Amino acid sequence: MNEGPLAFTLNGKPRRFERVPDAERLLDTLRWRAGLKGTKEGCRTGGCGACTVLVNGEPTLSCLVLSHEVAQEKVTTIEGLSTEKVGRRVIEAFAEAGAVQCGYCTPGFVVALAAQLGSGTPPPSVETLLEGLEGNLCRCTGYCAIRKAVETAREATR
Amino acid sequence: MTRSDAEPKARGALGYGTDLEAPGMLWAALVRSPIPHGRIVRMDLSAARKLPGVVAVVGPDELRTLLPKGALEADQPIFPLDEIRYRGEPIAAVAAETLEQARRAAAAVVPEVESLRVDARIEDVFPEWPSEAAAKDPRVVGHVHARHGDVEAKFRNAELVHSETYRTPGVHQMALEPHACLAEVHEGTFRVRTSTQTPFGLREDLASILGIPESRVIVEGTWVGGGFGGKGAMLLEPFALLLALASGRPVKLSLTYAEEFELGRTTLPSIIRLDTAVQGGRIVGRRVRLLLDSGASLPGRDFAVGYSIGFLLGPYRTETYEIEGFAVQTNKPPFGPHRAPFAPQSVFALESHLDGLARRLSEDPIAFRQRHAWHAGDRTAYDQPVGPFGLEAGLQAAARTAGVWRTGLPAGHGIGVACGFWSTGVGAGGEARLRLQPDGLVILEGEREIGNGSVVHGLAVVAGRVLGLPIESIRVEYGDTATAPFDSGVFGSRTLGALGQAVEKAARSIASTLATRVEAKEVRLETKGGQVVVVAGRRRQKLVDLLTPKERAAGGIEAAGKYYGPERKVDESRVVAGTVYPYQDFVASVHLVEVEVDRETGHVRVVRYAAFQDVGTAVDPADVAGQVEGGVVMGLGTALSEEMLWTPDARLANPGLLDYRVPRLQDVPPIQVELIEGFAGAGPFGAKGIGEPPIIPVPAAVANAVADATGTRVFELPLTPERVARALKLL
Amino acid sequence: MGLLARSPAGEVAVLGGGTDLLFDLDMARIAPKRVLSLRKLPWRYLRWEAKALVIGSTLPLGALERDEKVRTRLPGLWEAVRDVGGPALRNRATLGGNLGHGSPASDLIPILLALDARARIVGPSGVRELPVDMLLQESRRTTLGPAELIESVILPVSAPSSYLWQRVQPVNDISQVGVATAVVPEGPHWRIALGGVQPRARRLSEAEAMLRSVRPSHFEVELAAQEAARRAEFVTDKRATEAYRRRLVTVLVRRAIQTTLERMPKAWPPRKGAP
Repeated sequence: MNEGPLAFTLNGKPRRFERVPDAERLLDTLRWRAGLKGTKEGCRTGGCGACTVLVNGEPTLSCLVLSHEVAQEKVTTIEGLSTEKVGRRVIEAFAEAGAVQCGYCTPGFVVALAAQLGSGTPPPSVETLLEGLEGNLCRCTGYCAIRKAVETAREATR
Repeated sequence: MTRSDAEPKARGALGYGTDLEAPGMLWAALVRSPIPHGRIVRMDLSAARKLPGVVAVVGPDELRTLLPKGALEADQPIFPLDEIRYRGEPIAAVAAETLEQARRAAAAVVPEVESLRVDARIEDVFPEWPSEAAAKDPRVVGHVHARHGDVEAKFRNAELVHSETYRTPGVHQMALEPHACLAEVHEGTFRVRTSTQTPFGLREDLASILGIPESRVIVEGTWVGGGFGGKGAMLLEPFALLLALASGRPVKLSLTYAEEFELGRTTLPSIIRLDTAVQGGRIVGRRVRLLLDSGASLPGRDFAVGYSIGFLLGPYRTETYEIEGFAVQTNKPPFGPHRAPFAPQSVFALESHLDGLARRLSEDPIAFRQRHAWHAGDRTAYDQPVGPFGLEAGLQAAARTAGVWRTGLPAGHGIGVACGFWSTGVGAGGEARLRLQPDGLVILEGEREIGNGSVVHGLAVVAGRVLGLPIESIRVEYGDTATAPFDSGVFGSRTLGALGQAVEKAARSIASTLATRVEAKEVRLETKGGQVVVVAGRRRQKLVDLLTPKERAAGGIEAAGKYYGPERKVDESRVVAGTVYPYQDFVASVHLVEVEVDRETGHVRVVRYAAFQDVGTAVDPADVAGQVEGGVVMGLGTALSEEMLWTPDARLANPGLLDYRVPRLQDVPPIQVELIEGFAGAGPFGAKGIGEPPIIPVPAAVANAVADATGTRVFELPLTPERVARALKLL
Repeated sequence: MGLLARSPAGEVAVLGGGTDLLFDLDMARIAPKRVLSLRKLPWRYLRWEAKALVIGSTLPLGALERDEKVRTRLPGLWEAVRDVGGPALRNRATLGGNLGHGSPASDLIPILLALDARARIVGPSGVRELPVDMLLQESRRTTLGPAELIESVILPVSAPSSYLWQRVQPVNDISQVGVATAVVPEGPHWRIALGGVQPRARRLSEAEAMLRSVRPSHFEVELAAQEAARRAEFVTDKRATEAYRRRLVTVLVRRAIQTTLERMPKAWPPRKGAP
């Protein structure tokens, strides 16, 4: 397959990568070229949500996106969100609710939740927020503490 | 108390095995056997060596040319030298500049093979229950036989005999992070960073399989993205190390999810037969037969059958019994530990069986169990004294809740109860090293936190409680097997109970040193302005002012603690063949669940769940509740949707999330957690290990609830809609 | 289009949302030399016309899911879309992609069939429209020409509808069977379409014929459900046996018809000439 340059905005900064093959996935560009390992590699088939990032503010499974599809778009990862107010509140909510055990799924949950909470006032209901997390898998917590984190984060970002 | 690793993990700042990277790193891929059983007639690796980007290719020949003799003499060498024993078994490995190149090169190796007869399932080895003589069959890799009392007489004179057969499938740990490691070989030292629960066990196994002394192997654990037993043994490291040796560069090897399912060592299928003799409304005799699929395990390696068979007698007074189990070799990857290895399956069978028996006797299921349940002072089936045990307390609490739930229970709903019993593991033991510095306490650890909090948090809580220090001034530092103190590993719910005791001892030793130094009976520690302060009565002194010059140079007061648990014994006269295992302590789980069954489709919805857990002492109640919730939900997966599906030619048909269904957010009911304290365990402050107990009774509780709702029992896991529909005779 | 027309078959893969395509790439079901992304085409829209909804083929499913008008006016479509995969997946997956891929387990195709949807196709020889039913051939094959693309899907909006599915897990799972029903003012009124059947999702006219009026009796509904189960062809696979799928269809057809009836306004169908 071909390869070529790829330019997009990453966590607010313009980035350019050279010789990116057509077949490369956004997940791998972020982790290995940009060195941002906060986005985790899980199933690589769109089933676990560990690879969730934001593309133009929308939660997206980076394992199912060819990197060249985000040319000229805005990509935000957990590293970017953790410097923003909503992202920080969500991170704190997860930590304090006991919703982080092995932590492998957590960045994906944080990104998916922060996107919903950052999208204006009033915030969606807890049920709607939880629906937005249906694509994220956790094997450790049983989701109970995650529900609490969602409630807390919603209050904290009103 | 918030765990110190929570916030960094939540913002993606901590590195797991899959994140490992090193300058000049190569990517590895495995060549895997296309057949489940047979021999490699010829394998030409040059096809791979020629491809672009390929730097090293290793196969059986390289074991001979690159490693000492010991590598060829290992029980199970890195690559099979003669017999392939399961489909997908690694037979060679490639390292290349990119992962893509490595995978392409691995795919280019097509060995010439000769197939042998395939044993895909237990029934291919034993189409019916084997006799004791069958134990000599070379495909029996484990055999246990124990008995006590006159079983024949009890069954002959019984007023009722309840007999049932149960089946359970293979289930996978399905940790979110796949196995991954990074290996380097420098000047004869084999160093591997890996996602593991057991760095020291791994060091030992690697030394053995590589044929080198342990002192030449260094294992460093990374943060682990979930273990659940699946990361407690060597898997990828030998391949990565061999490639690192061959190439002279660091080598990264990680698995895809498909490979996780196809290669992973986990719980495999079983067939369980239970016969119970009843006299005067009481259980007077029990026969158990267990056939456990052990995959491609070698003889003498099986631990599961001897361990599991006791759970088929359960925490109930059983004077007269005969139990026999066979671990059977099939052409699948070897059996390995899953959370509470094989206990959810054993308990599914036993607790369903008892439930059915109680109904047959027109008895309340909880009252029936109460009549037989162990109390402290009873003797186990192997004649051990039962220690402090919260089963009775759990059953009473469950009875109260069941009474409330039954009131106004809607049609189509049912309630089920089940009891689980577990014994905290000890492993070989463990050691902890602590250093009290002027600004806080450091715990030096060899293994990483795997997720349950026992390492990064539990140990710190213990030390904090002994010394009076706030958790924020305690941190865990991670070393590797060369620098950190030995510990058996994070498994068997043992960390708090066993390693925690080592930490407790070391902490007490520091407290005692300080007490002597300030000439007080006892001291407490506090922090003020980021400095540790030693408090004795009314005297307060900064720690830094109390240190000797030697301690100052060392950074603080150091202390070590060891824990190598007391030896416990079984009554060997009851053991006819094989090994049964004594219990270290006695941990009860009593669970209650309400379900709704759609009588037209067989779909089971879990309405609500209550878990009554015997924890000894809840050192951090929120942390403990998190383990219970996580264990219950994992158990719901085993109960309702998780099963590994093999074809008749031993191929795994569902190696992925799409068709191996683990619980999702929407599948989770409200879960009420009640911690039962006061029945002390052996751990610090009377704590019991909590990692595994909560998963154990879940499938049984759900099955019993379905039976209550429909009047029909399902004898096989998982209770998928189709299986329930079949049991309801809808098809 | 020029690229597609020039390239040998299989050399260029068309990328809509990518959620099926990338899966196929990983499974090595296809090995194209180039990938053609439709991202920049102006087909990412939702347009309400007098009597129809026109959905651009590269509009992500999430946009349909979040649209309140879709939920109230085309509830069957909304029900089909809302639980496909997971929320982030629905931010990429497209209706056009799902239709073009033509999986027999697709949740979207049955409702498109039940709603008499049409597809607008663009190609080297111009634009054409055809019923979705004629676009589909068999499992994973459409009647699209080599350089043709689905530009949009057109859905009439007058019919109360519903979509019910059965899976082992409610989300992130593929349906074992799916049943879409819709009812139109002109007779014959009812549409019943099944997914998870062989060789592809289809309407079952024999079952539809059992429902003689806009508000059928309980017995007609039972007979329709029975006939649907009898007539459809199922396979046994990892997800379900043939026998279980057959059983599910009996149940789901009945429930889907009941749901559609519940959605029917009291004064429906509107009398001719009434607004």
